[in-house]
Amino acid sequence: MMSRHALRHVVEFEVRRTLTKRKFWLATLFVPVIMILIFGVSIVSSSSSQDAAQAQSSELFAFEYVDPAGLVDEALATAAGGTVVATSQQGIADVKSGAVTAFFDYPADPTAQAIDVYGVNGGLFSNAKYSTQATSLLQASATARIGSTQLSAIARGAVTTRTTTFQDGSVAGGIESVIPPMIYLLLLYIVVILMGNQMLSATVEEKENRVTEMILTTIRATTLLVGKVISLFIIGFVQMLVFVIPIAVGYAFFRDKLDIPEVDFSALEFQSRPMIVGALILLGSFSLFTATLVAVGAAMPTVKDAAPFFTGVILTLFLPIYAVSLIVTSSSAPVVQAFTFFPYTAPVTALLRNAFGTLPLWIAVVDIGMLFALSALVLRVAVQIFKYGSIEYSGRVSLRGALTTWRESKTTRPGR
Amino acid sequence: MEIMESAVGSTTEEPLVRIEHFGMTFGRVEVIQDLSFEIRRGETFGFLGSNGSGKTTTIRALLGIYQPTRGLLHIDGREFSPDHGDRLGYLPEERGLYQKESVIDVMTYFGELKGLGRATASRWSQDYLERVGLADRAKVRIDKLSQGQQQKVQLGVTIMNSPELLILDEPTKGFDPVNRRLLMDIIEDQKRDGATVMMVTHQMEEVERLCDRVLLLKGGTARAYGTVDEVRSEFGGTRIDIDHDGALPASDSYRVMSSAAGHTVVEVSNDADTAAILRFLVGAGVGVRRFTPTLKSLDDIFVEVYGADAMEGN
Repeated sequence: MMSRHALRHVVEFEVRRTLTKRKFWLATLFVPVIMILIFGVSIVSSSSSQDAAQAQSSELFAFEYVDPAGLVDEALATAAGGTVVATSQQGIADVKSGAVTAFFDYPADPTAQAIDVYGVNGGLFSNAKYSTQATSLLQASATARIGSTQLSAIARGAVTTRTTTFQDGSVAGGIESVIPPMIYLLLLYIVVILMGNQMLSATVEEKENRVTEMILTTIRATTLLVGKVISLFIIGFVQMLVFVIPIAVGYAFFRDKLDIPEVDFSALEFQSRPMIVGALILLGSFSLFTATLVAVGAAMPTVKDAAPFFTGVILTLFLPIYAVSLIVTSSSAPVVQAFTFFPYTAPVTALLRNAFGTLPLWIAVVDIGMLFALSALVLRVAVQIFKYGSIEYSGRVSLRGALTTWRESKTTRPGR
Repeated sequence: MEIMESAVGSTTEEPLVRIEHFGMTFGRVEVIQDLSFEIRRGETFGFLGSNGSGKTTTIRALLGIYQPTRGLLHIDGREFSPDHGDRLGYLPEERGLYQKESVIDVMTYFGELKGLGRATASRWSQDYLERVGLADRAKVRIDKLSQGQQQKVQLGVTIMNSPELLILDEPTKGFDPVNRRLLMDIIEDQKRDGATVMMVTHQMEEVERLCDRVLLLKGGTARAYGTVDEVRSEFGGTRIDIDHDGALPASDSYRVMSSAAGHTVVEVSNDADTAAILRFLVGAGVGVRRFTPTLKSLDDIFVEVYGADAMEGN
């Protein structure tokens, strides 16, 4: 039986020595700090752009115009600072001389021809106010002529739609419901990439430092490895918090200020099923990758030797990304099915399908069960590899040898 | 091989370590053939052999690191498991500690794993570091210490739970004479406190100073096993230093090893009696000024037993 107090000490030691390392915090905080900076700059510049636009739109300036079609309402134009001139040449000349700020040359048919706008140069962004004013004046005149703001808006196409779809009798989410569970996918990538090296070196360290014999005569290999995996979970959780907290704070307090086209952050939907399923898939996936990398580390004499295997594991993590459009649109495609049920591509595939609402509950249950079961099995193998190869200080451990010894030990010397 | 009974120190008490018919095969190589011996409670046992003779393999199998091919390996009447809570101190041949951690953190961690409270482990570590002259290095990372300093820390980790059984695989390897003396003192302290010590070493003077009984392992089998004197007697028996006047007469009772200027060393033949030799010399008219029988040193025996093996191994 695993000694509980020894397990606690392993976890405490591993967590403490990681969390007190400056290198860990530099790596962990790098991405969130960059994110905060980007969002900060985005919020500040968005705010100042809006202020500038507002200031410009409310700023009155003197302009002249010609209107051969007679569409512009003279009263509205006068109120906005406009004066009719006889010819286009005069208007242009007045702008050139600085007598007026702008001149609008409305065509005979504005639906077929462009409005020529002339103005005193005020800079690239400031100049936009001229065309805005010219268009607004024409729209306001048209609205006045129609006599109904509503009809005018409809005629402009200023109408919106709201789509509701149903899945299994319940309302299915739109893009606003896709984003929250996608955070799990982001977290999986970040945590596995950031912690991969630590997962690999979790057991290599004992071998590289020749600590194995002392530790294995003090505690059981299972206790050591389970302790290390638990500590990796805790450290991973800390890293996830470091990423999630700025996002949560940003969402809670600054979502209205994030000016990202087509996405309304204030309308994000946190649906319970995809959020719970996503969390379980993330947990199972993290378990599987942790157990796998710990097993690889247990088999290798040094971190350097283990590195190519780490690359392989990361590749399986990225493989589904190449088929992302297929995963999102054609969940029944054979390749998507294969990715969904192959343990090392299942995490990303299932998280994507879960976010986009194409992961049936039974597949989610199968995937989650598979991830946890395989994690336990791989961890068991990792323990055996570690025990078998614990004093193979300079060579790779043969998997066959380790498993053969395991079978023998199970029949001859249980409990070791 | 059957357990060889040793005349000295025999006791009816259950031995702390019992190994019977232990065999170990790696692939097709039989490293240990049929090894049996026991270590009694409270004794210091020298487990000797040239490099590659199977000493470390035996220890690793005893401690459950290797799966033995056959045989029984018991500590305190059962197979060793860290879960049993046995007070074991093991200083392996392959030395190492967590290199990136501080001395005090590593010592405290191992203390906790060995069942000490955090405060106790930390206090014990400070006291130990004081004793071995490393008090000012407590917060230094292990990899900043010299090899000798790291060895001291590792020995501290080994003995910090007041082990009942202390297994030391070449404990003085890498120590200068001053620190070797310090280490020997620490081992003797442990022995005084009741620890049973199993020691692997190539330093025969350490064996003669500390060990009650020894086993010489060669080619995976016990070449000799018993008290130090029993082993010395078994290998070539007695030598006599003789200071004399006149030439020594030839005799079947001894063989002259060296002779110069009235000083001769002879090796006593099997079954010959040293007192009879003295009477024979005096009767032959030799003026004997000094007549000192001595047993062959363990160092000589080691060289005799391992000879080419030891040279090759080293």
